[in-house]
Amino acid sequence: MIEIEKMGKPAVPIVSGRFELDAIASARAFAMPDLQFVLVPRIYRNLAIDECISQTEAAIDDLIGILTAEIDEAREAPQITTTERFEGDDRYDAVQRMNDDFILRDWGDAMPLYPPTQEAVDALIEGTNLPADHLVCDMPPGFGLATVGKIAINSAMAGAKPEQMPVIIAGVKALSEIGDQGGKSLLMSTSPHAPMLVVNGPIAKEIGLNPKSALGPGRDNQVNITIGRAFSLCLRNIGYWYPGHMDMDTIGTTRKFVHCVAENEEMSPWEPFHVNQGFKAEESAISVFITDGELDVQDQGNVTAEGLLKTIAYGSTFGTRSLGERHTAERLIFMPPDVARPVGAQGFTKRGAREFLHHNANHSLGKMIQFMPLEGEARVAANWKWLESHTEQERLNMTVPLLESADRFYILVIGADRAKTLVMPSGPSPATVGIDQYMG
Amino acid sequence: MHLLEVLNPVATQRGVLTAMTTTPRPASLDNKTVGLLWSGTHGGDVALKRAGEMIQERFQNVSVNFYTGGNYPAPPPIVKQAGEECDVVIGATAD
Repeated sequence: MIEIEKMGKPAVPIVSGRFELDAIASARAFAMPDLQFVLVPRIYRNLAIDECISQTEAAIDDLIGILTAEIDEAREAPQITTTERFEGDDRYDAVQRMNDDFILRDWGDAMPLYPPTQEAVDALIEGTNLPADHLVCDMPPGFGLATVGKIAINSAMAGAKPEQMPVIIAGVKALSEIGDQGGKSLLMSTSPHAPMLVVNGPIAKEIGLNPKSALGPGRDNQVNITIGRAFSLCLRNIGYWYPGHMDMDTIGTTRKFVHCVAENEEMSPWEPFHVNQGFKAEESAISVFITDGELDVQDQGNVTAEGLLKTIAYGSTFGTRSLGERHTAERLIFMPPDVARPVGAQGFTKRGAREFLHHNANHSLGKMIQFMPLEGEARVAANWKWLESHTEQERLNMTVPLLESADRFYILVIGADRAKTLVMPSGPSPATVGIDQYMG
Repeated sequence: MHLLEVLNPVATQRGVLTAMTTTPRPASLDNKTVGLLWSGTHGGDVALKRAGEMIQERFQNVSVNFYTGGNYPAPPPIVKQAGEECDVVIGATAD
C-alpha cells in the first residue's frame, strides 16, 4: 500500500484487529507514518464467506472516508531521549527502578537488565575498532539505525564483555544481509520464526563459546546466552521487533531468547561451515539462520553412515510446505559428533551427506499440503494448479522431495556425545559475515 | 539517595528520517478506477470484491480492477501495475 502511495495514488489497507499496532509500526518503519487503514474485527483467513462479507460491509463507511478525506491529524514519531535518569535509595534501588521502567516500555526481555551506563558502554566500544557513531546497517524488521553505540548499549544491558562485541556487531550485520530485506517478512510473521547464530573460527574458543551441549542454560553456556541476549535486545530496540508491534507471533517460541553457538570444529570430520560460505578456516565468522521450529531426531543404534543419514532424512520431513513458484524451505541440521564422525569416516564428504539427505528426504505431497484448500487460493502458483484436478487420495499418494535441492540442507557439527541430531526448519538462506573486521 | 544515568537503547528508524506524506485524496470516487490488491489469502478476495461492489453502488461510473500476484506481499510488478492503472487502491493485509 505504501508503494502505491509513493506512486501518487491514494491507498488503504484493510487490517484485522490484532494487527492495529503492527500497521502503525509498519507505516512508520516503511516511511509513511500517516498511512491510514481500515480496521475489521477478525482475520479473514479463518472466517466463513458470509462473515467476510458482513465485517467488510460494516467497515465500508470508514474505507470510503479514508479514500476521500484528507488526514486531519498526523502520527508523531516518539521522541528518543539520549539518556534516562533513575533515583533510588541506593544504587541497587536505582537499578531496580530502571528495570521496572525498561520492562514497562518493553525495552527488555523481562529478565533483569544490566544498567547501560556511559562507562559500561564505553568499555564495550573499546572491544571494537569502530567509533560509536559508525553505522553498521539498518536492522530489520523496523530498520532502526544500528550504530556501534546503540549495539553497545543493548549489549551492555545483556551483560556482554568487550571481547564479545565484534561477534555481536557481525551478527547484527549478518541479519540485515539475509534474503529480502533481512528476512523482514518472516520476522513479522505470525509463525515463530527466530534467528539462530553460529560462530566459526578461532574467536569461538578465544571468548569461550560452547560448541557441545550449546543450547541449554547454565554456566557452560554463559557466553552463548549473553551474546544471543545482546543480539535479541538489539533486535528489539534497534530492529523494533517488539511483540504485538512488529513481532506478531501467534503463540511464540523460546527460540526468541536468541542463542549463539559455536560449531564443534575440533570434532567435525569436515571443513567448518564458514569455509562453505567462502571464508578461510583461520578467519572467524558468524552465520545467522532464521529457524521455524526444532525436532530432536534420535538414532537408537545405527552405525552405518547410510542408516544414520536416513534417520535424519526421515526426521527432516515434519511440517508443511507451500505451493509457491519456488520452494524455498530449508533445514538447518545440528549434527552431533557421534553422527558426523562415522558418516565422515565412511567416506561421505559434507556435500555427499547433503546429497544423500536430499535423495532420501521424501514425503507425501498430499500430507504436506492436505490442510490447505487449493481452489481459488492465489498462493498456489501456476506450476501447481494441476493439483486441483486430483483427488485428496491421489495427492496423498504422490511422493516428492522434501526440499528443492541438496543446497537447502545445512549441516553444522554441534553437540556432545550421543547420536541425537537437532533438525530445524529454516530459511531463507543464512548470511555469514566476517568477525575479524570488527576486532578492536 | 543514588542517581543512576543510563543511555537509551532505542534507535532512530530509517523510515522516520525519510518519512513521506500520503497522497492528496479525491473529493469523490465518481468516475474513478478502484484497484483491489489481493495478497492471496482466503477471504481477503471476498472482502475486497464486496468493498468494490459497495463503492460501485454508492458512486457513479466506477470501474473496479482486481489484482493478485499469488504471493504475500504482492510482487512489485503487480503493485506497480495497480498503481499505474487505478486512481485509488484497496488492499487486504494482515488478513
